[in-house]
Amino acid sequence: METQKCKGARDLLPQDMERFRQVEEAFLNSCLNWGYREIKTPTLEYIHLFTQAGTLTPAMLGRVYSFLDWDGWGGERVVLRPDGTIPTARLYNENMAGQKISRLCYITNIFAFEETGKENREKWQCGVELLGDSDPTSDAEIIALALQIVKSLGISRVELKLSHAGILKALIEEMKLKAEAREALLDEILDGNWQALAGVKSTNKDAAAAVAALMKLKGKSSGFLANLKSLPSISRNLKNEIDKFASVSGLLDTLGYSYSIDFTSIKGFEYYTGLCFKILSGNKKICSGGRYDNLVGLVGGKKTPACGFAFLLDEVVQIVKPWSRQKADKTVLIQAVNRTPAAVKASFELAGALRRAGLVVEFAFSGSQMAARWKITVQDKPGAYVINDQGKDVQTKVKSANDVINIVGGFGKVGK
Amino acid sequence: MMSSILSGGSVKLANRAGAITRLALPKGRMLSRTAELLEAVGLGFDEYNSKTRIYRMSSKTMPSLSAKMLNERDIPVQVAVGNYDFGICTSDWLQELQARYPASRVFKIADLCFEEAGIYLAASATCNLSRRDLSKSGDTWRVVTEYPALAEAAAYKMRLKKFRIYPLWGSAEAYPPENAELAVLRAGDENALRSLNLTPVSKLCDSSACIIANSDSLQKGNFSELLERLTSGFKVNKKTRQKGEEFKPVISNDIDFKAEKDGIWLALADGHQQIHTAAFLKKTGIKMEGYSSDNLRRRPSCNLDWVNFKVIRPQDMPQQVANGSFDLAITGRDWLLDHLYQFPSSPVTELVDLGFGWVKIVAVVSENVPADSIEGLKRLIEKGRMTPLRIATEYVNIADKYLRDKHIARYRVIPTWGATEVYLPEDADMLVENTETGQTLARHNLKIIDTLFESTACLIGNKQSIRQTGKKAKIARLVKILREAAETR
Repeated sequence: METQKCKGARDLLPQDMERFRQVEEAFLNSCLNWGYREIKTPTLEYIHLFTQAGTLTPAMLGRVYSFLDWDGWGGERVVLRPDGTIPTARLYNENMAGQKISRLCYITNIFAFEETGKENREKWQCGVELLGDSDPTSDAEIIALALQIVKSLGISRVELKLSHAGILKALIEEMKLKAEAREALLDEILDGNWQALAGVKSTNKDAAAAVAALMKLKGKSSGFLANLKSLPSISRNLKNEIDKFASVSGLLDTLGYSYSIDFTSIKGFEYYTGLCFKILSGNKKICSGGRYDNLVGLVGGKKTPACGFAFLLDEVVQIVKPWSRQKADKTVLIQAVNRTPAAVKASFELAGALRRAGLVVEFAFSGSQMAARWKITVQDKPGAYVINDQGKDVQTKVKSANDVINIVGGFGKVGK
Repeated sequence: MMSSILSGGSVKLANRAGAITRLALPKGRMLSRTAELLEAVGLGFDEYNSKTRIYRMSSKTMPSLSAKMLNERDIPVQVAVGNYDFGICTSDWLQELQARYPASRVFKIADLCFEEAGIYLAASATCNLSRRDLSKSGDTWRVVTEYPALAEAAAYKMRLKKFRIYPLWGSAEAYPPENAELAVLRAGDENALRSLNLTPVSKLCDSSACIIANSDSLQKGNFSELLERLTSGFKVNKKTRQKGEEFKPVISNDIDFKAEKDGIWLALADGHQQIHTAAFLKKTGIKMEGYSSDNLRRRPSCNLDWVNFKVIRPQDMPQQVANGSFDLAITGRDWLLDHLYQFPSSPVTELVDLGFGWVKIVAVVSENVPADSIEGLKRLIEKGRMTPLRIATEYVNIADKYLRDKHIARYRVIPTWGATEVYLPEDADMLVENTETGQTLARHNLKIIDTLFESTACLIGNKQSIRQTGKKAKIARLVKILREAAETR
């Protein structure tokens, strides 16, 4: 059959959705537990929200889904949300800017064109933003929260990598490039091309050498940062940024989180200003985040410190172990010997009683999509049911809904 | 819409024994140089000249080579979707396509070293705008252009915070400074740009005539004979390359012009409609200065000092009236409807039917299609023929609405920039076109299966301007003058 699905689009089938919901529930439970409150932003935003933020690279902007709305004669394009954080910053500005600290979380889809059509053009994210707090404890908080979510999902082989946008920006600043060359370099780096650094002709040779050295080094503790600080080529500005980094990594040391420092591990977002992190499982990135103290101001609000992260839902669902298939065990199918109005009524009444007792009940008058352990046949005369335990191939005749609940619910301690 | 065409195009053009190699040749300003070049390498086409009425040609010397004449702007798209193996066009249109669709199956084989120009981002010579000003500012920049994809990429690259791009059919130089801060346009060089009273902000890319090829054709077929000839032509051409003459704009872009501050703005047509509009204005008794074929200015004046004029493309007028650049415009009802179908709540409305420039907008198929009505065509489609239906048209929104209203289940609208007749039957199944007498259609063996509506020139206006104190009375006065002239036929 010819497929009619859009290129790069994806259907999520019941078994996919079970996994998605599993991750979403674990994410939301942890977030709510830490005092974060859920929000949703609209799918459509004006494109200028993203251009004025100056935080998506030209390459990313070149892949947004944008169009003129039905009232777009003024030329104002709208986009399918290409990012979750920028709309959250807008929502915060417009609705909660007066609050001191806002802890927000969301589950959202984001859209970006992908040429081959083999990758998904619509992706899902579980995001967290902590707005209004500049203290290093807030950086530590979101990292701890992200790691707790990872733990609650039972994901193993987890690796936490840290980098620092402030240090990188200070370094590039010291290379004393012309504005255009600096922008071009930043774009390259933000798109993940670290090789670009090697090709830069800087007038400040020491700085260039320091950059090259830093990019190669990888550290495992705050000691690494202390070592870096004492290198002779490190300027005062850079030292400040390293101190900021160390204040968070020191906290992580105290809290007993293990991590590695890798300056080349950030990619994509210009909006980070301080610590950035990503979480990998088996070399696959599942989460990334960081501090973005300028973004709220850039999208028209008061300058507000902020940090956050997002789980890449599509990646996470592939590595979580699905819930045990208890659900199939808890499902009860109901059918009738003859589908008379009276039998249908009796079936609906029985189903109601079982559902109230916490069971999953599906009518199977004309067959079922589920393979269930229990099948109950409603007889023609009132108050007569045959319970078929397909797991054990046993049939029992009973007379009331309560009898059914006692037998069927026995495995899961449901009902009274 | 375009994306589905580009990705869904089937390639049927491998150069198997006896198969035809298809070449897309440009109409218009590139025609004579291209014809010379083809003649020089022994690939001449008898009918390929500016007076021709035949758009479909076969080569005198290479029987397997056939060519069609298209608007040059359409050539990269048509080669990309595999309707042609090769094409000749200026590279700016290729770059515009690639800026929007980087995965297009088309690339440049060789430069032909004529029609050399640059694509510039430029501002009016009256304002002093630098790249830095543009990136720093939180203002909304209006960018007018025939190259919306190149303009958008440039805006992202320069990190403009807020901008709006107005895609145009042409005459971008006319807009700054009143109706746009920036224009992205083609110019021979910076001097040519200055003679249009524009200052370059940055050069986006170079452009020159070039040969382009479909990637799949090159992978599958053997075109060595043709390619060798064309490449030898490239050498010939390089030798005879001449320095371009000094550029003189066809229409003077006079910016020393002083707009009447409280005047209303009326847009007038350039191109084919200019003569008819000028003749009509003459009938109204308005004495125009600078709106005749021998003296054409972008900002003509007249004896009514409360009206300001600007000369732009009629296709672009409805959107420019909608966004408030103009209060009124004289354009065709076809373009008004195309705009309104795209933006149903647009504030543009028809004020006066001016009566001249009558055409009908028709649905057209090839003569050998066994259907004489849209219903008949629909029955063919239901039997599985011509699906998805490919419609080539300049009226993208009119065609789109028509096909929706007719409940055609699957269709693709192929936007074109003119010379649409040539698309049938190979490159499209149906056209939505305008016609006066139907003669051009008949000459191309085409037949009309439906008339969508009739179109004449009309005065359109912005509903908000009409209500605005200070403009209301002036607009009413001008409407009265034009209506009286329209009624005395």
